[in-house]
Amino acid sequence: MTELKVEAITKSYGKSKVLDEVSLDVHSGEFLVVMGPSGCGKTTLLLVLLGVLKPESGHVCLDGKDIDSLSIEERNFGYVPQDYGLFPHMTVFDNISFGLRVRNVPSSKVVEKVHKLLNLVDLQGLETRSPAELSGGQRQRVALARALAVEPVVLLLDEPMSNVDEATKADVRVKLKETTKRAGVTTICVLHDPFDATALGDRIAIMHAGRIIQIGTLESLLEKPKDEIVTRLLACFLQRSGEQRAPSD
Amino acid sequence: MICFREISELLGIKDRFAFALDALAGLLILFMIVSLFYLYVAVGARWSLVAEALFSERVIAALVVSVSSSTLVGFLAVAAVIPTAYVLTYRDFKVKSLLETLLIEFPQTFPPATVGLVYLLMLGPGSPINLAYTYWAVIIAKFYVSAPFAMSFTLRRFREIHRSGLDTIAKSLGARARHILLWILLPLSSKDLVAGFSLTWARAMGEVAATLIFAGAIPWKTEIFPAVVYLTSTESPQVALATSVIAALLSIGALLSFKWIAREKR
Repeated sequence: MTELKVEAITKSYGKSKVLDEVSLDVHSGEFLVVMGPSGCGKTTLLLVLLGVLKPESGHVCLDGKDIDSLSIEERNFGYVPQDYGLFPHMTVFDNISFGLRVRNVPSSKVVEKVHKLLNLVDLQGLETRSPAELSGGQRQRVALARALAVEPVVLLLDEPMSNVDEATKADVRVKLKETTKRAGVTTICVLHDPFDATALGDRIAIMHAGRIIQIGTLESLLEKPKDEIVTRLLACFLQRSGEQRAPSD
Repeated sequence: MICFREISELLGIKDRFAFALDALAGLLILFMIVSLFYLYVAVGARWSLVAEALFSERVIAALVVSVSSSTLVGFLAVAAVIPTAYVLTYRDFKVKSLLETLLIEFPQTFPPATVGLVYLLMLGPGSPINLAYTYWAVIIAKFYVSAPFAMSFTLRRFREIHRSGLDTIAKSLGARARHILLWILLPLSSKDLVAGFSLTWARAMGEVAATLIFAGAIPWKTEIFPAVVYLTSTESPQVALATSVIAALLSIGALLSFKWIAREKR
């Protein structure tokens, strides 16, 4: 398990500053949710961590080591984008085994590992299907299994709930949290829905206009919100939470 | 316009604007196919002439040179544009836009006769490597004029895949350039490679000016189909006409086949 430290990352697109001295400490094995409204810089932060975007200033450290100079391939960060990014021309098996085949893992071990992962994400029997034949929740789990196959040091999830229908959201949330905990991987998950954020995250980082405003557990955030934005986002959560409970009450 | 209104009223057309669009589209379609259609009208009942031309040694030779060189150019173009499209997709450098213009748009607008002349001076008699009036001259001239079609299709598709982020995901899983190219880009571009090949092939079949100047028109060696049409159009117009019919049939047949292959790959 790995500890990730983000130190004063700044990133701009032209004149617009998308990340403004963002700092974060993610504990080993933790599920950290980065939450904020659309356009606040959440995805940009993930892309900087992944190594796709180079920040103007700041550092990303893994277990105390600076990894700024490492390429995407060298970082070994698992990444699940918003649309899950499954390779459309490959079966579920080929998608999950991609990283293993790239690493020249012997085929018997590839088969063994893929089946283990299919069990982990509860997709046994679907290995010959193409991504087009899967539901949103199933695609998400294939993408998760594919990212976990290479035993990443950090897992980055970008809005993993966005393509899951409301009817299956609760199950998908439970499965997602369970899978990452069982894999024991340090996870950073970007979300804009406060309800998903509180259900999934060990801690929640509230992000607004390119800055991390406050980090803490749900309880600590509710107890001592730092400013009006945090209060507003949490109020939104409480409202949604109430709406979710209402039908069953 | 009065005439148009009357016609549309006569036909009971309610949406005159939509009807106008149909009419304008019809005009363009008519313009594009009328010459092809006229070719068959001009041949009329003289189909025996077509058969006669087809079996003449000169036409058979031109057919062999044209089809073989165009097919070779198609394959060479696809093979050559794959690494180039990869570099233009993934490498950033200052003159990239200029280079793309020189590789794709410029060869399509540069007069083919000038292309032939340039190659004749560069690789002709008097230069260290003399390829003028050889089969390779046919290949080089056709390649310059027609490879941009394969380049354009392949580059566009590689960029689409790059924008989709699939290559970033592959990289996050440890993939290197060879995996990205062989496992992601090429399988997802197969349809576009077939389309690029077919248009390159078709353009190479129609190319004449650059080839005539650089390679000449030596039967069984460098004389291609359009050259036969050009050279026989004054001395024996009926042979030229017959050759044109064969060329048109061949091109339409091949293009439809390529389209069918591309659709099957979808």
